Amino acid sequence: MKKIFLALFFIVVLQITLFADEKSKQDEKIVVDTINKELLAKIIKERKGKPLFLNLWATWCVPCREEFPAINKLAEEYKDVEFIGISVDFPEEVESKIIPFLKSQKAKFISYVNGFEGDEELINTLDKDWNGALPATFIYDKNGKKVSFLEGKKSYDEFKKEIEKAKKK
Amino acid sequence: MKKLNKLFVLTLLFTASLLYAGDVTKVENFKLKDYNGKEHQLSDFKDSKAIVVIFVATQCPISNDYNSRMAEIFNDYKDKGIAFVGINSNKQESVEEIKQHAKDNNLQFPILKDEKNIIADKFAASVTPEVYVLNSNFEVLYHGRIDDSRKQSDVKTKDLRTALDEILGGKSVSNTKTKAFGCTIKRVS
Repeated sequence: MKKIFLALFFIVVLQITLFADEKSKQDEKIVVDTINKELLAKIIKERKGKPLFLNLWATWCVPCREEFPAINKLAEEYKDVEFIGISVDFPEEVESKIIPFLKSQKAKFISYVNGFEGDEELINTLDKDWNGALPATFIYDKNGKKVSFLEGKKSYDEFKKEIEKAKKK
Repeated sequence: MKKLNKLFVLTLLFTASLLYAGDVTKVENFKLKDYNGKEHQLSDFKDSKAIVVIFVATQCPISNDYNSRMAEIFNDYKDKGIAFVGINSNKQESVEEIKQHAKDNNLQFPILKDEKNIIADKFAASVTPEVYVLNSNFEVLYHGRIDDSRKQSDVKTKDLRTALDEILGGKSVSNTKTKAFGCTIKRVS
């Protein structure tokens, strides 16, 4: 009898643990930190052998939203490449716009929000020839050297080609 | 040796052309029709103290954030000898849509339809809104944003107004190039 009780007790405990785990997964908080010049420089520099795929987007940018699923798919496929997004929505829009969008997309990579001094500082840090048209994607090789600058909406295949190029460097 | 020299010069020229590809310093006269079918050309505005060319959109939220500011700037400067021309180069935005959008947003300056983005290519314009201020020789005096924040309450520098005030004051423009985030001009492929 005692053994049965013990077994039942363990089953109940196990179920509670599993349930709690599942619940925590559902509640998993998407965190969107602010990125500044120093943090971006550090991310680009500290590659740890992985190329970097950096996508600049905004919730107000329709082509950015359209290309997001392709990037999400690639982020799942290329575990040997680091994928990072930077949203140029306002930092006060993290809860109201950025996180709901990332949740709706089931985002597979992290995104930061633009915390640079001004838009121009972020634009010029990434590429002096860039006028700030969105979306824009920058791909760096494993040494942190910029290999591709893609302006405007790109397809899964176009991104894939550039990622492969960065991996070969 | 002569061949080598020629190659060197060609390489130099090619590199120089690449270096200057990003910034257009002068544009040529062009003709485009507005949303009523009336033809305009840049040389129509040759007697102005400056010509403000703004690449605009009907669907871009950032360009739309600036509608009232564009209307205000036009009203404040139109009688001071500054000409304004809007250009819509977005392939998916029709003439009818542009006409309705201009009416709804009280944009009273001519807005020209740049079919096949030929003029956007000549200016190397890539984003909306994007401004070029030209003198009567069509040299670019200012290129960039209207101001430094799409949120009007956060604006710190009114770059276009500053450039226009400097031109009207007979000074040279102090900040000739600025940047801001905007929507990509949707070009024909």
